[in-house]
Parts: sequence; C-alpha cells; structure tokens
Amino acid sequence: MTSKQRFLTALSREQPDRLPVTTHHVMPSFLDQHFPGMTNDDFFDHFGFDPILWLNEQRPDENAGEYFDPDHAPGYLEPRRVVSDRWRIESEELAGLRYATTRYNIITPCKTLTMVLQSDEHTSWVTERLVKEKSDIDIIAEFATKPLCDVEEVNRRCAEWGDRGLVRGFVPGFDVYGQPGCWQDAAVLYGIEELIMATFEDPEWVHAFLEILMRRKSAFIASMKDAQYDIIELGGGDASTTVISPQIFRDFVAPYYARLIELAHEAGQRVVYHTCGGMMPILEDIADMGPDAMETFTPPEMGGDADLAEAKRRIGERVCMIGGFDQVHFFTGCDPERTRQAVRRCFAEAGEGGGYILAPSDHFFDADPELLSAFADEARKCVY
Amino acid sequence: MKETSSILQSIAQCIERGKVNRASPYPPDLRDRDGADELVRRAIDLGIDPQEILTDGLMTGMKVVGEEFRAKRIFVPEVLMAAKAMTAGMEHLRPFFASSQATHRGVMILGTVLGDLHDIGKRLVGMMVEGAGWEVIDLGTDVAPEDFVAAVERRPESVVGLSALLTTTMMNMKETVARLKEAHPETKIIIGGAPVTVAFAHEIGADAYAPDPPGAVDFLNSTVAEI
Repeated sequence: MTSKQRFLTALSREQPDRLPVTTHHVMPSFLDQHFPGMTNDDFFDHFGFDPILWLNEQRPDENAGEYFDPDHAPGYLEPRRVVSDRWRIESEELAGLRYATTRYNIITPCKTLTMVLQSDEHTSWVTERLVKEKSDIDIIAEFATKPLCDVEEVNRRCAEWGDRGLVRGFVPGFDVYGQPGCWQDAAVLYGIEELIMATFEDPEWVHAFLEILMRRKSAFIASMKDAQYDIIELGGGDASTTVISPQIFRDFVAPYYARLIELAHEAGQRVVYHTCGGMMPILEDIADMGPDAMETFTPPEMGGDADLAEAKRRIGERVCMIGGFDQVHFFTGCDPERTRQAVRRCFAEAGEGGGYILAPSDHFFDADPELLSAFADEARKCVY
Repeated sequence: MKETSSILQSIAQCIERGKVNRASPYPPDLRDRDGADELVRRAIDLGIDPQEILTDGLMTGMKVVGEEFRAKRIFVPEVLMAAKAMTAGMEHLRPFFASSQATHRGVMILGTVLGDLHDIGKRLVGMMVEGAGWEVIDLGTDVAPEDFVAAVERRPESVVGLSALLTTTMMNMKETVARLKEAHPETKIIIGGAPVTVAFAHEIGADAYAPDPPGAVDFLNSTVAEI
C-alpha cells in the first residue's frame, strides 16, 4: 500500500497492510534546532513516517466586499488573512517585554477590538483577550469577515503533492489567534476560566457567542465541497475533561460540533475531532457527534487520561483512532528499545482489526532523532 | 448550638455545590437561596467563632470538593464555582485573620515557572490549598527563579509550589528548585503539572510531587504535622 492508501484504509476503520505511523505537526522550532533547512516532506522521508500535507487555503468572498489583507504575512499553518473595510486589522510591536509582543487592533465602524499576543521560539499565547465586554460579540457578529475555502488552490496543491500521504486541513480559527472549534475559539477570545463561569452564570450569552462563531465556520465548511482534503480537523484541548465537565461538553460543545460535522459530511469531507487532554469520560459523546476519527488519546503520564485499550473497546467500532503515543517519555530521555516497546504497546492496545493510526499525542516540541527513527521503524514492523 | 451546627453545615454545602450568593443562578436547584456570602455573614453576626466558621464550614465543604475531584465525580468547572463560593465566604473572615482571631495553617507560595503562561491548574491548587486553611501567595505565571527566592525571603515559613504544563518549561523547575534550595535549604518545595512526574521531582531535588490539587493539600498538611 502507499501511505495514502494506508491512511485512508485506517480512516475507514479497516485493516491496512501495516500500522500507519505519522505525527501531528512537525514544529518549525524542532526542525530549526535539529535539522535546519529540512522541510516537512524531508522530515517524513528521513525518518520513514507516513507523510501528511497540511493545507489551509482560504479566499475572500469578493461579493461581500472582502479581500486579502495586503499587510499580512502568514505564520506557520496560518492562512492568508481576509479583511474588509469594516473589519481591518492593524498590528503594532510592543517593545521592552520579555517576549515578542504584538498588539492587534481590529477596526470596525462601531468599535476597535484589541488583542495582545506573545510568542517564543515554540508557540504563541494571548495576554489580552479580544472579547472584553459581552457586547463585543455583537461587533463580531456584524462585522467579522467570513473566509471561504480556496478549493482551486487546495486541489492544485494536492495534485502537486500527489499520493504521497494524507492531506489534512482544519476549520480556520478566529482572526489573529484562533483554533478550529467554536468552544476553543471562544475560550481563546474570552478566556477559558471566564467562559466556564459564564456557562453557569449567563448560559444564554455563551450560546449566542458560540452561534456567532459557528456561523463563520459553517460558511467556510460549506465552501469546502470538492476540495480534495483527506480529513479536516475540529476541536481543541479546552473542550477536554481536563478543563471542562462532561455536562458542559454536552451542553455547550457537542451541539455545535455535531452540526459542523454534519455540514462537513455534506461537503464531502471527513472530520477528525481533536482533544488534547482528558477524553475518557466523554468518549461516546465525541463519537456521537459523528466524526470519522478521533485524536489525541493523551496518556496519563502526559497529563491526559487515555486508556487506549479501553477506548478501542468503547469507540473503536465507530471511529478511527489517531495518537496515543507518549512523546514526552519515549521521544526523549530513553533508549530506543523502550520507544519500540511503547510502539508495540500502542499497536497491541488499539491496532487490532485496523482503524488506528499511530502518532504522538499531539505535536512534539523536542525529540531525539534516534528515537524518532526507532518509533517509525518499529511501527513499520507492526504488520497485519 | 443547634443553630451553629446547622449554619456551618449550610456553609459547607454551599461550598460543595458552588453556591456563591443569593443572586447567583447556579446551581439551578438552589436559585433564590442564600449562598456562602450571606451565610458566613450571618454566622459572624450570630457570634460564631471565625475559626470555627473557617474550619467546620468553609474547609469542610472544600475538603469534600477535593475528594470528589480526586474521584473524578466532579471536574474543574465545579471546583471553580466551589472556589468562588469559598472566596465569597472568606471575604467576611479576612478582618479576623488580620487581627489574628483566626489563623491559617501555614503559607504557600505558588507560581507557574518561567516561560510558562498556564494558569488554571496552578489556580486550582491555590483554591484548594486556601480551602484547606492555608494562606496562598500566588505569584502568577511566568515567574522567574529570583522572584520565588525573593518571595521566600519575605515569608521564610512558606512552602513553595511550582507548576509547569509544558515539556519545554518543566526544565525551568530545575533551576528554580536549585536557586531556592541554595538560598533557603529548609524550604519545602512541591511540584506539579501535566508532564511532571514523581521521578522528575526526585531528579531535580524537589521535596514532593502532587498529581492533583488534593495531593498538594495532603503534602502541605503533612508538613504541618511534621512541625
């Protein structure tokens, strides 16, 4: 089988020739540190992983007066930003702080919304939330742009890449700093603790906020028809049971994602639901939303709660499982045999009958190249 | 006596259920009923010893919350509401701490280590530790080793809690522990966070590791027992 066939077979919950093995993102900071100049494709080939191509091509709806932001230089995995005369985004660097710090001003006819981001060599984080007053969501509802999928560009890139592996995309997050899921975006924009408290104290407002975010994502998903993605990502760690309760998941997360997944299926797209954090108490709730695959199955040793064997038993007949490997303890600081044992353990627990893709539980920040090789090599020996 | 017992029990229940005050709509079945805010005020007005209100009301409720959380019968959101109710009640007791009519079991200096901006796990620890009768000095996130050392210099009797969520930042715990132990060898240090393990705690010279907030409370209380 080719890598692509292997992935697609597993996604169909069938048995490929051997265990597919890949990773989530290959972090630029990792490549810069260990393999300067190496591309993602080089990385996959070098270590013998089944390759993934991440694409996130979006375009403006010109009929709605939207256009690409001429001042925006997209960062890692960031699509070109879509703005309008009623939703302009300006940025300014703030000097003298410990981390690279940027203030973003989103200028609308009614109000300027502001957000501050900081970054280090690994990642970025929000230090000033965009939604500071509850009425700010009305500004978003009225003026935010609604980017569409650039199907032509996606398909051009797919054709160029060929059948090397899995083409993966995601539902775009909110402008400046967002993530695929509605709840996840809301947590980023308002603050997770504040959002949790609002579910208790003002649930109607939280639903109104999530509806606004969902409308934007729905417009994008509806435009994905005929785009040749193999799978698109939804979800995020703030909807894990490390952070929220199963009840909040059922009331404020699942209804929105179930609608988005249905819409994605109507557009001919498969969906992987991404949970970095606790998921065992909500495994069936996630599967009930109808995704084609679920990830990341983070083990307890990494702060999650995944029991791969139990998860396979509970939802393995309904979704493809991706992840479950402990990259903290078996990509660094151990001998290759322990890495190989960890691979075999994952295969034994989740591999039976297919429907399983071996991957670290989310991306990894650091890894010993020798252990990456052992990881992929051992997985390739896990034949059906 | 009966009234004292009843009101302390009601205060404990408000903490367990996250009932902050009468105006709070949560939990729905306690809507329009008094919460921790009103009940603690009433207990003080009735002349109940503030230490008793803390120990037999607020702390009793928070102990149950910790047990339920550890048993995975409740989750972070319920703990946040319990902590909010606790804070509402504690506000009325603060003057008594200031005048030493009520006392804490000890002091914990808490912070997320340098380079790490994650807050919620550390705050949960702070809430439960406070709910166990300890004074908590929360230094926030992205705290440099020298700031931990300075905080201990101000309150040398403290136990220090270090949090990290990322594998990239947990190594900053090592330097923080080393700097603290160099400046204050007697200071007890407990660490926690998603990628942290008991083996890592031993490796970097921390005194303890807690897998969850109740674990931190257990450790702190054990240090008091030692004293």
